[in-house]
Formats: sequence, C-alpha cells, structure tokens
Amino acid sequence: MSFWRLDTLFLTFLVLLTFIVSPMLGPANETVAPPFCKPLWLDPASGRPLSLNAKDNILSFTWESKPPKAFSVKGTVSFEEVPKDAALLLVSPKKTYKLMDLAGLKNLDVDIDSRDVPLKLHLGLNPFVEVSSVIFSEKGTYSLYVRSDVKAHVNLNINIYTGKWGIFGTDQRGRDVFRLFVQGIKISLLVGIFATLIASTIGMGLGLIAGYLGGLTDSSIMRTVDVLLAIPTLPILVVISGVWGRGLWQIVLVLSIFSWMGTARVVRSLTLSLREAPYVEGLRALGAPAGYILVRHFIPEALPLLLAQTVLGVPGAILAEAGLSFLGLSDPLMPSWGRMLHEAQVFGAFTGGAWWLIFPPGLGIASLCLAFISIGRRFEEMADPRLKEMTGR
Amino acid sequence: MMEVSSLSATYPNGFNAVKRADLNLASGKMLALVGESGSGKSTLIYACLGLLPKGSKVSGKVLFDQIDFLALPQESQRRIRWKKVSLILQGTMNSFTPVLTIKRQFLETMEEHLKLTQREAEAKAAGLLEEVGLDDGFLSRYPHEMSGGQKQRCAIAMALCCDPDYLLADEPTTALDVITQAEIMNLLKSIVRRRNMGMLMVTHDLALASSTADEICVMYQGCTIETERSDVIIRSPKQPHTIALVKSLSMMEE
Amino acid sequence: MTKEVAAVENLTLIFDKSYAPALADVSFYLKERESLSLVGESGSGKTSLLRLLLGLLRPSSGKARLFGQPLDGMDEKELRSIRRKCSYIPQDPFGGLPPTLNPLQAVIEPLIITRSNLKDVETEKAKKLLSSLGIEEALWERKLIQGFSGGQRQRIMLARALVTDPELLLADEPTSMQDASTRMDLINLLKAYLKKGMSLIFVTHDLLLAKAMTQRGIVLYRGRVCETGPTDLLLRDPLHPYTKALVSALPKLGKPVEVKVKRKTLPTGFKGCSYFALCPYGFDRCKDLPPLKQLGERSVACFIGDTFQET
Repeated sequence: MSFWRLDTLFLTFLVLLTFIVSPMLGPANETVAPPFCKPLWLDPASGRPLSLNAKDNILSFTWESKPPKAFSVKGTVSFEEVPKDAALLLVSPKKTYKLMDLAGLKNLDVDIDSRDVPLKLHLGLNPFVEVSSVIFSEKGTYSLYVRSDVKAHVNLNINIYTGKWGIFGTDQRGRDVFRLFVQGIKISLLVGIFATLIASTIGMGLGLIAGYLGGLTDSSIMRTVDVLLAIPTLPILVVISGVWGRGLWQIVLVLSIFSWMGTARVVRSLTLSLREAPYVEGLRALGAPAGYILVRHFIPEALPLLLAQTVLGVPGAILAEAGLSFLGLSDPLMPSWGRMLHEAQVFGAFTGGAWWLIFPPGLGIASLCLAFISIGRRFEEMADPRLKEMTGR
Repeated sequence: MMEVSSLSATYPNGFNAVKRADLNLASGKMLALVGESGSGKSTLIYACLGLLPKGSKVSGKVLFDQIDFLALPQESQRRIRWKKVSLILQGTMNSFTPVLTIKRQFLETMEEHLKLTQREAEAKAAGLLEEVGLDDGFLSRYPHEMSGGQKQRCAIAMALCCDPDYLLADEPTTALDVITQAEIMNLLKSIVRRRNMGMLMVTHDLALASSTADEICVMYQGCTIETERSDVIIRSPKQPHTIALVKSLSMMEE
Repeated sequence: MTKEVAAVENLTLIFDKSYAPALADVSFYLKERESLSLVGESGSGKTSLLRLLLGLLRPSSGKARLFGQPLDGMDEKELRSIRRKCSYIPQDPFGGLPPTLNPLQAVIEPLIITRSNLKDVETEKAKKLLSSLGIEEALWERKLIQGFSGGQRQRIMLARALVTDPELLLADEPTSMQDASTRMDLINLLKAYLKKGMSLIFVTHDLLLAKAMTQRGIVLYRGRVCETGPTDLLLRDPLHPYTKALVSALPKLGKPVEVKVKRKTLPTGFKGCSYFALCPYGFDRCKDLPPLKQLGERSVACFIGDTFQET
C-alpha cells in the first residue's frame, strides 16, 4: 500500500508549514496591519499595503490601485532652526494637500491618521468623508515632502492601509491570521499526539495487566475504567484547568488521564484471547514469568492494534483541546486554533461576518482530524488481517 | 468426457500456480489429482470452472462434452455450473449457513438452478439424502447438530441435486476420521458408477487415491507430470517425483 | 530395573457431568528409552491425556506419575523442574508458536527461559536442528513465524521441542500438516533422538505412523482404552473391532478400502461399551462395560475377546 496518499501528504504539508515556513514569517503576536483586514486575494485590485520610510526631504511613490482605506504618517521632523514657514505636504497627481503645519517648533512628532476628524476639518472636508479616497482618487505618482525655509531632518513613515492584508487577513489586534494559523498547527499536533501517546501507554499497561492477571486486579482496573468513563469530560476539564492553570502541558496531562480507558478495554480483550494460545501455556509450564510473556510476546502482538487505536485517538485530543481553548481556558499567548475561534467569537467575528477569522481555524481542525482518522483506519485494516491469520489453511 | 488441455493459471499477484495441465476425465470413472501442497492442484479445479479471483489469467482449453467452458460468457458459464458440473470444495462441510436447516439449504440451491415446486423439491431432497446414506430426518436438522461425516454427505447430496455429469471435489475427506473417510470414499465411488458420472478428486494422499480412484494424475510444481491407471502407477511409476512419492509411502507400510 | 518415565493409573477426567467422560479408567506406563503411541480419533481424549501428564489438567480421579513422582501433591516448583525434562508439541501449529518471533528466536526461547547461561552453545544446536528440518537459513532471522505455512510451523515446533534435549517428548500429531516427502525427514529426526535415549509418547490417528515411530501402542475410543500392544501386532492382527476398523480403513497402496461398521444410535443412558455405536458385532452383552483383559503383552477391552486364549 503506498505511503503517499492524500492523508499523509496533507499531514506532511502541515508539518512542513509549521516547522519550516512558520519561523520564516515572524512572531505571530506581532501587530502587522490594521485590525480586521480581509484577505488580500479577495480584491487584488485594492493593492498591497505600503509602508515607506522617508528619510530625505522628499518621498515619491506610485499608487496604481483603488483608493486605500486609510493612511497614516508617523515620525519625527526636526529643523536646524525654528522655521517660520513649514508644512507637511502630500502631492497627488491632481492636487497638493497640506497635511500638517510644521512651523514654530524645532522638533516635532508627527502622528497623522487619515481617519482623524481634525485632519478632515483641517483639509476642509466633511467629517464623514473618507480622506484617503479623496486624496488617492487618482492613479499616479505621489510625493510626500516637507516644505520649509530651513533645512529639515525628516524621519517619517507613511503607511497606506488597504483594508486587505496577507493570506488570511488580520484579527482584532491586527495580527496576521496566517501566522497564527501556522503556529496553531504545531499546538494541535503537539497536544493531539502527546496526549494520545501517554494515554495509550497507560491504557496498554493497564489493559495487559488486567487481561493477564484476571481476578481482583482485573475487576478493580475495569471498575476504575467504568467510573472514569462515566465522568463527563468537558466539565471536569474546565474545573481542572481552573485549578491547575492554563498551560499547554497541563492540557496534555489532563487529556491523557481521561482518554486511556478505551485503549485499556481493547488491549484487555486482546490479552484475554492471546492468553489462551497453547504456546503461552507451554511458556508458563516452563516457568516463564508473567512479565516476560507480556513484554516479549503480548506487546508485539498488540502493537498493530495499538498503533491504530492511538492514531484514531488523536482527533479526540485535538478536538478536546480546541474545545477547551474555545471556552477561553487556554493560555492567551498560545496561538491555538481553538483560541483563534474563541477570540473570533468574543470580538464579534461571527456576527460581523469576518469569515476569515473563522474558516481557517475551523477547517484546519476538521481537516487535521480527518487526516488522522483516515490514516488510523488504514492501520486498523493492517492490524486486523494479522489477527485473522490464526485460522490457518 | 471432460478434457483439459494446456491449462495455465496465474493469480492476480503474479503467482503462476498452474504452468501446464492436461487431463481427460471419462464418464463413469474417478480420476484422482494427486500433488503436494503448492503443486497447484486446487488452483486447477478453480481454474477449470472459472472461479479464480478477479484479475487472474487463465489460458488453455477446458471442454465439457465438447463445450469450450472458458470461452463462454459469464452467463452461460453460470448455467453450466452445478447443472453439468458441480463442485465440492475444501471446507464445504463447514460452509453451511448455521441458522438454516438442511432442508432450507437444499431448497435454496434447487430453486436457484431448477424450477421445481416446493413439494417436488422436498421429495427430490429426501431422495438425494437417501442416496448418500442419510435418512430424511436430517432435513430438519441444523448443521451444528451433525457430525463432520454427515455434513459431508449433505454436501455431496447438494452437489448432486441437479444431476450433473461431472463432479469436481477438492480434498473431500481431509478433516474426517479414517473410518468416515473410508465410508465417504466408497459412497463417492458408488455414486460415480451408478450415475455414470465423471469425478475429479484432488487430494494429497496418494494411498487414498490409489485405493479408490480408477486413474491417478500426479501434479508437481504446477504441471501434470504423469497420468496412469492407479494400479499401474503404483507398480511402475515413471517420473522421478512419482517414484519418490510411491517410495515414501511404501516405506511407511513396511 | 529401568526407571519409569511416565505412568497413569485408572485415570478418569470429566469435563462436564452431562457428557461422557473425556477419559475413563485409562492406565499405561512408559519406561526409559521406550516409545508409546496413543492412537485415536478426535474426541478420543488423547490430547487431554498429554496435558494431564504435564500437570496442565487435574484428573477427576486416578493417578499420574512423571519420572516416578506422583503429580498429585507436587507444588509449583517441583512441577516446574519436572516439566523441564519434558517437551510438548501441541496439535495446533497455528497456536503453538509465538507469532512475533523469528524461527531462530522461537527455537532458542525455551533455553532462554530455563538455562540462559548456556545460550551461546545451544544457539548452534538450534541452527543445526532448523537446517536438518528444512527451514532455509536465510529465513531464520528474517521472517516472523506468522509468515510461515502450517507445515513449516510444525517443523519449527519440533525443533523448539528438541532443542532442550528432553528426556520425554510428548508429541500431539506432529506431522499432520506434512506432505509425504517431508514427513520422512521428521520421522527420521525423531528416530535419531529416540536412539539417543529419549522417551516418546506419540499421539496420532494414523496406525501406520504409530508403527513407524513407536514400539507399543494404545488404541483409545471416546476416552476408553480399547486395545494395547506392540504396534506391529496391532496392525497385523487387531483384536478389538475398533482397531480392526481402523486397520481396514487405512488406505493402502493399490488396495480398495473395506470398512465394516454398523452405525446405530445409542439409547439414552447407555453405559456399555463405548464402541457399540459403530461395532458391527455388537451384541446384548455389550450393554455392560467390557473390562480390559490382559493377554500377555497385549490387552483388549471387548467381550469378543472372551474367546481369546490367554497366552
């Protein structure tokens, strides 16, 4: 059976994304653009945002796209002497706009945002008009410069926001959603795989012991399983994360404690049937200790099934972690997909129609779980025929 | 007459189980196909009736009374199976449906192939059971209520229900004890004579074949290497593999 | 006086009271360097008898002894040390070997468990056994047991049983899945070990095989002893009707098979001869259990034997 199918390809792609691409992108928590920007590919004509630095007196740039949503100019201007006449001008192909009056001070901090009402009034515009659509109505060359009668040292940044950013837009804090998404892969994978691995190990150990020893040991382990299964997981998880804190490893530990039961049951029934094989009787007759039989024989025979069970258990852990994060019970600094959905919900993305905050994490969770289930089913198919081989010719 | 010429069969995974097989089966005679495990003898029977898994390659000719079976379309092959040629496979006695009585299984088979009323079918079933040595009380029994030998007799009776001209059997007595085995073999022989059928029996037991069959065909590594009357082949085997087989058996009997 | 290796006296084993006993009143003994066959069909109790001898089952009544020691009062430790002198080949090759080991590991394993300090020396012995049984050297460490056919597994089981040089081998149909050509290899290997002094209890349904392997045989039917004696006499001159049926049912090269049995249904609560349901001679007296009559080195449990002379 070929290794490379859709599920493994997808999983490899995600792993590559998170471990190779993600470091190249920059920190996920960094604010890169205005909040709630839509993905860029929705409206390529609106143009990529610009961020330019004007160190000299004049900065020229071209703007060939639709009028941007907003722009801002920030920085400092310092004069050698106090100017009598100085202004910050933005020259469009049609008109020149005086953004700010710079006279009278030697050092000035500039902080202009096109959405500021004072600016609108200063430019003689109605307070409800979008300044940027007025100024940038033409395509062509624009210049930003300081006109003064004295030499000026300029360190200004002009940022032109188009309301579109990146592959997945931005969230309520202006963070790049794509970076958050890629980091989230790592969180989901880590939690999913580690929680399930630990749970499987516990489950296999207890299942083997219960199945092989039988009697009181078996009963006590199985009743523990029944009790733990009867406890509703999510409420307990909520309580425990309240008590223990919200870190990544707390979640992993808690999920492990509540998901080893299924594996234990399956391994126990397998052990019960393996125990009856004639060679086991022969080994016991020779005096082989129980530990030897369990480790040397039962574990290798249980391994295919165990592998299938483990892989099939990963989606459960991923969903549990996503659920917890969605309820807000995870570390806020941890960019997990559930957290992204939580913030989307809290900040009104669902009602506001900011779908780019909902679909990437949501579809990410669903597709990752599907990939694991698909791979797990393949392992199951491989495990079963081996068990059936006992019937012989 | 059933004629197999230059038959070759390959499984979908590429394994060429039958390289070259030739044999002839006349009516009223029992031919035993003898070979060790892996010689291809079971594959041959399946190939003759077009029952190998999908994707297998079969070449050569299989003629039942001049009808070229392998050249026929699927539908025609289905009509010939069970009516002209019927089959008893290894493990048939374990493949009865456990929740149906023998009567129901008979009726099911007969309804599928013949068009009889229920009354006629029941009468025929009772007659067949009698022919194989069971009384008609067995019609109302379930498979788990019968011994291995009784189940095998039922399987034989079902194989005869459409009065075929040829019967192919794959290891019909392997899982049975020696006494029941002897009884079943004698039963098969009497059926062959009485109905003037041709029977091809596959077995790994040369002694069993020699004591019941009229002719023996030895198979080795996918080829039919020697075909002879059973008494002749025992007394004077010609091929080296046959000689070795006969020798190891007679060594046991000393 | 030669030592006694195994013995049972009036052994009875009942699994379920509503059914007939698995074993009823079975007795035999085996001395050093002797070989004995238990001949019977499935249901004759022969497999249970072997497991009883190993102490894996407890009899409902009667005694069993291994190497002169009664199995009754033994504790685990004594039982273990006695068992190490024996080897057991179970009937089912698909459950008798651990499927996740390779052949070499499977053959060495009994040594590891019992005498791990001698492991290196014995590995050579294991390899020799495997090659004399026709298992390809390339597969010894490459392939797992679960990839081998039934016939090959049986041969690996035989190697596993012989590698500890047992004083007593209990073999349950060890050649059932072999072809005629490979069967001789196993028989010859067993005979070599017999010559070295191993004792053998050989379970089979095939009287010819019993004769090839052992000197004496016990014929069992439905848990009861029908006949005992030297195996060649059992074949040449069977006394019990069941033995006669077995002999005549054996396919012989070139000779037609004639079996004389008369199948009849037994009335409920029948406590007579176990073979009555098939016996062509069954008469009134068979309603009572025929006792096992000693006739020199043979014994028969049949009322027909009343006409036999005591030698």
